[in-house]
Amino acid sequence: MNTKGQRILLWTAPPAVALFALAYLVFPVFSPPLSPTLTPDQVAAFFRDNVTGILGVAILCNLIACSLVPLFAVTAVQMSRAATSSPVLTYAYVICVGVGTTAFILADYCWGMAAFRPDRDPQLVSLLNDMAWFFFIAPVGTIMVQNLCFALSVYLDDRPEPVFPRWVAHFNVATVVLLAPSAFSILYKTGPLAWNGPLSFTLRLTTFAVYIAVMFWALLRAVRNQGDDRVVLA
Amino acid sequence: MSGGETSWRTSRKLDQWIAFWSVPFFFTLFGLVFVPLSWMMPPRSPQNSTPHIVDFMQSHNLLIACVILTLAYGLAPVSNACYLIQVKRMSVSPAFRYSMMIGAVTGAIVGMLFPMFCFGLGAFRPGYSSAVLTMLYDFGYLAFIGSLGCFCVMWMAFGLAIILDENRILPKWLGYYTVWQYVTELMAAPVWIAKSGPFAWNGLMTFWFAMILYVSWQFLVYICIYRAIKNQLEAELDNAWADLRPTVAPAKSSA
Repeated sequence: MNTKGQRILLWTAPPAVALFALAYLVFPVFSPPLSPTLTPDQVAAFFRDNVTGILGVAILCNLIACSLVPLFAVTAVQMSRAATSSPVLTYAYVICVGVGTTAFILADYCWGMAAFRPDRDPQLVSLLNDMAWFFFIAPVGTIMVQNLCFALSVYLDDRPEPVFPRWVAHFNVATVVLLAPSAFSILYKTGPLAWNGPLSFTLRLTTFAVYIAVMFWALLRAVRNQGDDRVVLA
Repeated sequence: MSGGETSWRTSRKLDQWIAFWSVPFFFTLFGLVFVPLSWMMPPRSPQNSTPHIVDFMQSHNLLIACVILTLAYGLAPVSNACYLIQVKRMSVSPAFRYSMMIGAVTGAIVGMLFPMFCFGLGAFRPGYSSAVLTMLYDFGYLAFIGSLGCFCVMWMAFGLAIILDENRILPKWLGYYTVWQYVTELMAAPVWIAKSGPFAWNGLMTFWFAMILYVSWQFLVYICIYRAIKNQLEAELDNAWADLRPTVAPAKSSA
């Protein structure tokens, strides 16, 4: 089977990552990340003062929100090459990608909505900002399960020449552990678990960035080694 | 089956069994989150007085329920995938399982994560005005009980696939029950209008009747899926082509 299409899709990931990095660097809400302890009036004032930056990034992220989907789609195709009895893990993986991406888009919309009419009642601007942080930081459940499905499909493939090396699976399990603390951001307004804290914010985003880089490398290798091996997913 | 009793770790269907056993784990967490942790279910009345709503929306337990749900909701895709792959074995078009898949993607956010967040947001910041809290209360309940279309398409595709299937993967009566399940989703549509009576979001028809049908349906589907996985012949498995024993050096290339 010709793997040209997969390689083209894979190489859309580096520009996507560059755009996400740009969005991250210029987003006023992240430099430094807004504290959950701000009062509604302070939040409303912040959005009033940063309309251009927030709306610009909200528009950019609206456009690029799904731009890592091709990377995940190629992952799904490579997962389906594992010698498992069914594509159940691949299907679960694909559904998780759809759900997780939607949560990200909702976060983006909430920030955009808060900046769209910053003169709204401060309570509502604060609510939109809280909702955006909830959707951005907390819903780690899907990427955790997604990476566990990936790891399982590697572990269950005990052929002498598996699609992915074992350590990629170990790495995916490690990301599950490192991403989990973010879910607890809902319980705290200060400290490492708060949504702007080192565990919920820095660790989560760093883990995700390293994860994308490692998967990109592992996928390049898997696609190169695919040759005319069969793909089961349909 | 054919190779005698082997340990579960060497089962060729291990991927399917892991997905299968995650289903009760997920539904247990799901039940814990919505019933004893948050007391969101059984649903409170849309007619509740504002002080009652404010009081409920500020309870700390809602936040704990939120945390557990954000960790667990990724298992919903695994449950759906576990059902989907049985549809893949049926003699029906892939369009059926793709419909179910898209229903599962859309339903997870609108019917589960978003409503739970509406309740969690109220409790997260105690300073919100009662107008904001009552809106979140309505939005949470309407999204949770009133999310219908995503599930309609799933049950419709699942029911039709079972009925049309000639490989007899799942029993025909389950197909008809699933179509019935689809009809009960339609019945819940008036929750967006009625604020009291049998068709309100806590009503006899839209909640209790629909819930009894849904829970018993879910149990029956689960048992039937168990039998379907168990009865699948080893030769029919996707990994039947791959020789898993590393002692045999040349891999079978053209299967």
